[in-house]
Amino acid sequence: MSIKRALGVCTALGVIASAVAVNVQFYDENLPGSLNPLYAESMVDFRAQELYFDRLFYRDPIDNRLDSKIVKRFEMAGATKIRLFLEEGLKWHNGDELTADDICFTIKAIMDPKTTSARAKAFRKSFTDCQVEKNSVAVIEFPEVYHKPISRLNFAVLPKKSFKSTAILPNTEFSTRPVGSGPMSGAKSTSYAIFKAHRDSSHHKPKIDKMRLNQAQDPVVQINTIKGGGMHGIVSVAPPYRPELASSSEVVMKTYDLRSWWFIALNEKNPMLAKKEVRQALNYLIDRNDLREKTIGVKKGDKESPCELISGPFVQSSPYYNRGIPVVERRYEAKAASLLNRAGLEKKGRSWYYNGEQVRLRIGMKETLNKEAPDLLDQIGNQLGEAGFDRLVYKINAEEWTREVISGKASSKYDMVIGKWSFNIDENVNNLFETRGKDKGTRNIFNYSNPEVDAILERFNAARRDSDAKNAYLDLHAKLSDELPYLFLWKLDTKSAWRKEIRSNIIAPYYYFTMIDDWKYSNK
Amino acid sequence: MKKWWIRPSIRVFSAFFLPILVPGIITLFIWALPGDPASNICPPEQCDTAILAKEFNLDQGAWVFFSDWLFEAFGGDFGRSWRVMQGVEIQELLGDAFPNTVLLLLFSLIPITIGAVLGSLEVIRSKWDPILIIVGVVPVVVLALISAAIVEINYAGSNLDVQANWARICMGAITLGFADAAFSGSLIGFRDTCTQEKNQRYVGVSILRGETVLSNTLPNVSNALIGQYRARILHILSGLVIVEVIVGINGVGALLWKGTLTQDFGLVLATATIFAVLSGGLLIVQAILECVVAMHVRKAPSDVRLAESV
Repeated sequence: MSIKRALGVCTALGVIASAVAVNVQFYDENLPGSLNPLYAESMVDFRAQELYFDRLFYRDPIDNRLDSKIVKRFEMAGATKIRLFLEEGLKWHNGDELTADDICFTIKAIMDPKTTSARAKAFRKSFTDCQVEKNSVAVIEFPEVYHKPISRLNFAVLPKKSFKSTAILPNTEFSTRPVGSGPMSGAKSTSYAIFKAHRDSSHHKPKIDKMRLNQAQDPVVQINTIKGGGMHGIVSVAPPYRPELASSSEVVMKTYDLRSWWFIALNEKNPMLAKKEVRQALNYLIDRNDLREKTIGVKKGDKESPCELISGPFVQSSPYYNRGIPVVERRYEAKAASLLNRAGLEKKGRSWYYNGEQVRLRIGMKETLNKEAPDLLDQIGNQLGEAGFDRLVYKINAEEWTREVISGKASSKYDMVIGKWSFNIDENVNNLFETRGKDKGTRNIFNYSNPEVDAILERFNAARRDSDAKNAYLDLHAKLSDELPYLFLWKLDTKSAWRKEIRSNIIAPYYYFTMIDDWKYSNK
Repeated sequence: MKKWWIRPSIRVFSAFFLPILVPGIITLFIWALPGDPASNICPPEQCDTAILAKEFNLDQGAWVFFSDWLFEAFGGDFGRSWRVMQGVEIQELLGDAFPNTVLLLLFSLIPITIGAVLGSLEVIRSKWDPILIIVGVVPVVVLALISAAIVEINYAGSNLDVQANWARICMGAITLGFADAAFSGSLIGFRDTCTQEKNQRYVGVSILRGETVLSNTLPNVSNALIGQYRARILHILSGLVIVEVIVGINGVGALLWKGTLTQDFGLVLATATIFAVLSGGLLIVQAILECVVAMHVRKAPSDVRLAESV
């Protein structure tokens, strides 16, 4: 073979090699439920939608600055109006141009009362109008003066041409086969979701050609497939398996900042649990160190522990965390017994009785949490059993969790519910503790209601300065650690595992794939 | 004896009635659940259920919903998925899933059929029964989990989707065909039925007449064997949902499971009706075979003439 020919063959092979699309495959907890950003219900939905759609403004995970891939610049057009100038050359996945019309359509869809979306409801009161001034200029009007108006614009933009009207329902095909402007296009099937690089627009040039989200399998299977090179990533690695992956030279463990904390919600509709002394007693009966060690494998004093105990509704690294409130780490039987006696319970033999009847607690736990903290439900049940409470334990599937527990319909089924909340950077917990009403307290599990807590939350809402908001939440932490609608457990770091071939993979807090344009695959 | 047609007639009637009864019962369940059906799709705290009820035809009561659904289903329109694959037409989902389910069913019938033939011919003696029972003692869930792990470890991350799908179907078929005594039960059941019949007195008499055992026993055991085979198929159909879900086969059973978990009643109605149709089809086949056997049994032999009475 002549040198010229050899060179030609090598070049052709190189072209072919580079032309073979890289397909990065990863496991996530579940398949996304809906790919329509207005109907995101779970963290899986948020992560998948971050690939398909662009949020108008997002927080850069490196410097925490509010940034946008769509908006070139903005200016205030009055005290309550903001004018957005869009980038040029923006395209939807189907090739249509992304214009100011789409921005205003999205806002009007959010504002439309026929859009049956809880997320739209939450945003609805933030806007009053949107006007298209030019093809690439939109003016958004707010109902009042906001401290940082662009922080209210972190919703995904929807294509006007994909909908018949601004009334967007959850059951349209868009929820399965979305048209977005995000770095990846694609759809979901019954077994996986696919993502293909969207490079036709000026604002995205992802280096990875294709991605595929597979539903998480048994953790042992996941670990073996990622070590074997079959899969490239696992979004959430259960704590017992982290040491094995951390010691692998093929896999890199990365922190995924979810600002999530675990809790046991208490049902105050139960007459016994309505007494603050009983709730405080339960707080003293739970041995958090023991639970953490037995379920997550973290001992007290472990260095670089992924599991940090908390005393209120924030993680310890949060500016809202009140460091003056100590964590109850271990069991205090004597204190608990004194409180229970004061509440009118009496101990006969080894069991507690209330109004002559043996106390029985129905404890439910979100099923998916068992992967991160195996046997937590049984361990909590055992601790309460040792303390003298009879109990029945239940695992709650994702559907029941969303349909009943979060919507406040589980009061007749459970006395205690174990769960986990995740937050993005704003850590707004109002929906968890506000008295449930129209657009309020939408995640108040047992319909907890306390006027003093409502007043604190109102202070937070009304705060114009960061310091006012912080003070309100510090007071909330103090109040809730006394009232105990929840027993606060811990913050558990979420760790992802990615093969080393995946480079520059910065994982954004909460949304995960915000920086996907920079991710690349290299097997050198 | 003269009313041999009653049983096949009942089977045919049931076959046509099942695809109406099953969705009817499901519709009653939908309305029997706590809360109104639209609030099960999206709770009132999160969505405007009145709009959803109108969208899904849930606002005019169970009978209107059921009759409209049935009318459209007869025309081949099962509507759209409410939650599993929102907005996607259910025919499209079934079009992808149904062939996988049929292949799984047919492949899993291979060990059952082999067992039936081996049992009928008494190839495997009863002294091997303990081994057969051990083979069949593995529950379907355990074997399905093992199959799922094998396929996932070998194919995860590869671009060999077609091969992976075939591997899942084959592993699923092995699971269904052997777990829970499917193969061994078929073999032993058929063998015992045929052996019992062979021990009847008339068989001995027919042998003395120079006739074959099979020609005498087969018409008499056919109905029992057909019934057994149909029972095996139903057993496989019931395990099919579990296997499809665990092994990860995109089949009708998996759709039914996902629809049930997510309260996607549109999908549940359609997939449950498909299973009812399959079951009805089996009933019709059984009825036809029973008629064929009955007619054969009643056919006068052509080479016999009645002697004149003396």
